[in-house]
Amino acid sequence: MNWSELDTWIVITGVLICAACALPGAFLMLNRQSMLGDGISHAVLPGLAIAFLLTNSREVLPMVIGAVAAGVLTAVLTQMVQRLGQVESGAALGVVFCALFALGLILIRVASDKVDLDADCVLYGSIETAVVDVGRVPRVALISGGLLLVNILLTLLFYKELRIAAFDPALATTLGFNADAIRLGLTVVASVTTVLAFESVGSILVIAMLVVPAAAASLLTHRLHWLLLFALGFAALSAVLGHIGAVTLPQTIGRWFGQSDLGATSSAAMMAVAAGGLFLVAWLVAAIRGWTKSNPVKPIETTMSPASHR
Amino acid sequence: MNLTAMHFLTRLLAIIGLSAIAVSVAPIALGATKPLPPNYTIVTTCGMVTDIVREVAGDKAKVIGLMGEGVDPHLYKPTRDDVVKILKADVVFYSGLMLEGRMTDTFLKVSRKGTPVFAVTELLDEKFLLEPEEFQGHTDPHVWMDVAGWMEAVKVVVRSLSDLDAANAAYYQKNAERYLTELQKLDSYAKQALASIPTERRVLITAHDAFNYFGRAYGIEVKGIQGISTESEAGVADINKLVDFIVAKKIPAIFVESSVSDKNIKALIEGGKARGHNVRIGGQLFSDAMGKPGTYEGTYIGMIDHNVTTIARALGGQAPERGLNGKLTAAK
Repeated sequence: MNWSELDTWIVITGVLICAACALPGAFLMLNRQSMLGDGISHAVLPGLAIAFLLTNSREVLPMVIGAVAAGVLTAVLTQMVQRLGQVESGAALGVVFCALFALGLILIRVASDKVDLDADCVLYGSIETAVVDVGRVPRVALISGGLLLVNILLTLLFYKELRIAAFDPALATTLGFNADAIRLGLTVVASVTTVLAFESVGSILVIAMLVVPAAAASLLTHRLHWLLLFALGFAALSAVLGHIGAVTLPQTIGRWFGQSDLGATSSAAMMAVAAGGLFLVAWLVAAIRGWTKSNPVKPIETTMSPASHR
Repeated sequence: MNLTAMHFLTRLLAIIGLSAIAVSVAPIALGATKPLPPNYTIVTTCGMVTDIVREVAGDKAKVIGLMGEGVDPHLYKPTRDDVVKILKADVVFYSGLMLEGRMTDTFLKVSRKGTPVFAVTELLDEKFLLEPEEFQGHTDPHVWMDVAGWMEAVKVVVRSLSDLDAANAAYYQKNAERYLTELQKLDSYAKQALASIPTERRVLITAHDAFNYFGRAYGIEVKGIQGISTESEAGVADINKLVDFIVAKKIPAIFVESSVSDKNIKALIEGGKARGHNVRIGGQLFSDAMGKPGTYEGTYIGMIDHNVTTIARALGGQAPERGLNGKLTAAK
């Protein structure tokens, strides 16, 4: 393959954005809210419709503002439904994002059926084209780097609170802070990260990176700081392997079937596939360790299981 | 702060440092405007643009179309190879009017970096363009459905290429003139064939709103089942209203599109059957993408010829089975 500056930037941006998503993703997993990103990818629709109706514009900025508002609303409403309805967090998310998506469809049908206004068309970017930019450094790389930096700083600042809120909310109350507030903060940050990442690199990569690196890491360790570092590592590795795979695999596989003219496939999608591959490796490693050692890594216990006081 | 947390912090700071270094290296080089080399490369988006650019550029340039048959240009996601082709292109033509969605951003950036980039719809008169009444400025992009509109697009191509490559300007002019004559013939054929449909049956019912220019140009009422956006869904009330319409007007045929799902069309046929009126599928129309490359339907002229001939024959008008140029694949 001919490696070019384009590839370098795709990989750099991929590493930054994947890591930026994997960090809140790890905490979402511990709080059993892994599917938040998937929910938000649907829940942005009313945000887009309302932003369009208010501004009569399909420019990126109003679309992103509308989408961020809808994402934050999803996080807040999910928490409310979970508290008031006494339901499991996944079910609460299901209620909220389906309702918001349906509201979006109604808004589009009633108000803007004559204009092409779906998220694919006006919001989701793609990593391959986003890195083409006028300046020295593509805007998308700066956004991804900024997101990662903010998420790392927030993790460091609230490390203790996030850990206790995830593992032992009762202790949080004893220590004098509100576990619900911390978890709400987490979902809001995760929502903003998700929407901004959608705008940069599209939906599938973001959803995968919120879930898979954290899930793979949880197979290998039950120490929180190791979990976070493994998740960041898996995310970065997925980005690198994914892009290389997107460029080289179609040709290699095509050759087996006698086709030599196959071009590259979607880099974002291959990064998600690579994350899946790494999960498989992590699972194999965990399984082998389970067979050979007397103390395998146990599944992480979270708030949903009673009596996790240690 | 305990020891583990300290370790954690140092590691994270190391990661931040590394990413900062990564961000500061190897920017994508800025291109500058350069004269066109012999046998230069033109990159185009959807098939309709690719075809007219090929007709005008002839053997002077290599034309690379990014989107193949059956591709919905609203949803197309470019791959790394596509972006490499765009970056290496000497000239880029795209359709415009938001047809290519967020890819448009990329074209604007490539243009600011010095590659000549043109939207083939950029010269169209505002009076020609269709806008929904409530949303000024959000134009319907399916201009190629009116041959007169695409003739304007050909003029954009020939003017741009003549400006960039003045040495071959006469060659491009000659190609364009020959092609425009053919398009003129196509336009007359379409007018004549569709006018032969009995007036009360001159209604075109399809899956989505891609045929508004077609309807205006050739005097046929157009009803799309779902809106322009692919996220929009047809409600039960819409379907029922259309079924009433079909039964009342005794419409003999409705149409499916090559790049849109046909489940709503099937609902209409079932609805008609329940009311004792048999409406059939009149054929598959090309709306946002052309037919197989290498076939007659894989060219712009073939695509429009196919649509016109299929519609005219299915609704009871007069048109030769093999179309204007006798090259259409015979209907099964």
